[in-house]
Amino acid sequence: MSSAEEAFHSMQRLIQVLWPSFIVAGLAEVAFFTLIDPQELYLLGEPVHFSTLATYSIGFFGFWAICITSSWATCFFQRRASEINGLPDGGEVSGDRQSGCA
Amino acid sequence: MNDPAPAPAGKVIPVVPVVEDALYEVRKRIYPRSVSGAFATWRWILVWFTQILFYGLCWLDWNGRQAVLFHLVERKFYIFGWVFWPQDVFFLALILIISAFALFLFTAVAGRLWCGYACPQTVYTEIFMWIEEKIEGDRSKRMKLDEQPMSARKFRIKATKQFAWIAFALWTGFTFVGYFTPVRELTQSIASWSLGPWETFWIFFYGFATYGNAGYMREQVCKYMCPYARFQGVMFDPDTLIITYDAERGDPRGARNKKLDYKSAGLGDCVDCGICVQVCPTGIDIRKGLQYECIGCAACIDACDQVMDKMNYPKGLIRYSTEHAIKEHWGKKEIIAHLMRPRTFIYTGILGIVVAGFIYGLTTRIPLRVDVIRDRASLAREVEDGKIENVFRLQVMNTAEETRRFALGVSGLSGIELGSDAVVEVPAATTKGVVVRVLAPGDAGKTGSNPIFFEIKAINHEEVFVREKTTFLLP
Ligand code: SF4
Ligand code: SF4
Repeated sequence: MSSAEEAFHSMQRLIQVLWPSFIVAGLAEVAFFTLIDPQELYLLGEPVHFSTLATYSIGFFGFWAICITSSWATCFFQRRASEINGLPDGGEVSGDRQSGCA
Repeated sequence: MNDPAPAPAGKVIPVVPVVEDALYEVRKRIYPRSVSGAFATWRWILVWFTQILFYGLCWLDWNGRQAVLFHLVERKFYIFGWVFWPQDVFFLALILIISAFALFLFTAVAGRLWCGYACPQTVYTEIFMWIEEKIEGDRSKRMKLDEQPMSARKFRIKATKQFAWIAFALWTGFTFVGYFTPVRELTQSIASWSLGPWETFWIFFYGFATYGNAGYMREQVCKYMCPYARFQGVMFDPDTLIITYDAERGDPRGARNKKLDYKSAGLGDCVDCGICVQVCPTGIDIRKGLQYECIGCAACIDACDQVMDKMNYPKGLIRYSTEHAIKEHWGKKEIIAHLMRPRTFIYTGILGIVVAGFIYGLTTRIPLRVDVIRDRASLAREVEDGKIENVFRLQVMNTAEETRRFALGVSGLSGIELGSDAVVEVPAATTKGVVVRVLAPGDAGKTGSNPIFFEIKAINHEEVFVREKTTFLLP
């Protein structure tokens, strides 16, 4: 792989992890805060004392972080045996994995 | 990379995987050529319409407040005369269902109308490309400029473009946040340099997203990031209007001598000028058939029509048509006759039902809601003359936009009465908690819990009335 292609692959992988988690985090955020008033939340036994906007924002990034972990784990488990073994796979592309997702 | 497009102006754009362009693929940078024509006019009308709506609506006032405001801190959505509370999540769900089915219906009838004309991604890309063209010049000038090494002139041009892009993006971010925090307060806090950290953050976040998506990502958003682009195909059928190249008429393609009769030379109407590819914002060749990358913007129709005019051929070599119509040589009449088919009937039917339900719900919505909570501290207490007292907490939500007075009443047991004030005043669009003591004779019911009802009625507004069930404990 050329270095340009490698850069492209890691960029692609990055977006494949970040973007779907962004969408899902957005949905989770809307669902969660429609049902739950941020003023009624407790953090470590104390009522949350952040401003409402801060709670929403932190909530969003919390959801995003969780979703990123999940997306990343999906990509991680999609790696081919040869990639884990670190052996050359003879250029064969097995169909069990989307290219660029490692 | 597959691009059979005839090299525009004799130049092949090299496949340079510049990292800023290689967000998703080692792509050839697309330099769409600008186009004019009937559909381009429509696209611009929609750009103006949606953007005047977006940038203007947040400044409109209604009932002495912002007309459209999704007030996150107050947790209230204001849409003209309506105020929605978190309890109205049902309406939100209905709006989502309505939008989804409207999209399904439009897609089944006329393909990606949304993508081509109304999607913010298309609209902002259009605006950013317009700015780019105004500053950097037309397609060939832009390509030349990008090939040049950096110079004072190039730097000046690029810096001007960046400045215009960033200014526009920040204004967009500001407007966006202005729908979630009152926009006038926002303006004031910017003017007085006291903008909250999170407002600042989201203005920059949204501004940056606009800048990146419309300035750089462009068609890649549609190709790789848009969920709708991925599944819109399932709503297509052979009677869906799509952008089509009439291969039967156009092929075989080729350059020709205008003086000779091309038909006798065995050529079709396509002169193979490649203009349709050059104008395509997603860089595809529609002559290869419908591809999922096609956002249905109709730029290629306008472009090819101009070519046809120049050649004195009839317009419409590329046109809105359906798979059936092309195959069977149908005219407009047959296409319209095929609008009504089971798929569109089902989508229209569901849409109609949900819209009717929504309107019904909205018009019969009572601008009052009451939550009754038993006071947990004191269950039942004996007070003077053998009466039993229960204490409740009423959350009275006045969703009307005027201050109202409500009369409280209680029923369900003989001799039951209120032991506290029977009138409560609640300001416009607010919730007020009141503690209510209720008294009943000790022998009014069975030991344990007895069902009772609170009746809350707006004074001077007979129709605003709710009845809430709860329980009264007798020892
Ligand atoms: S613009 Fe029309 S004539 Fe030119 S290549 Fe495209 S289809 Fe052929
Ligand atoms: S093929 Fe035509 S309609 Fe489709 S995206 Fe390209 S220019 Fe627009």
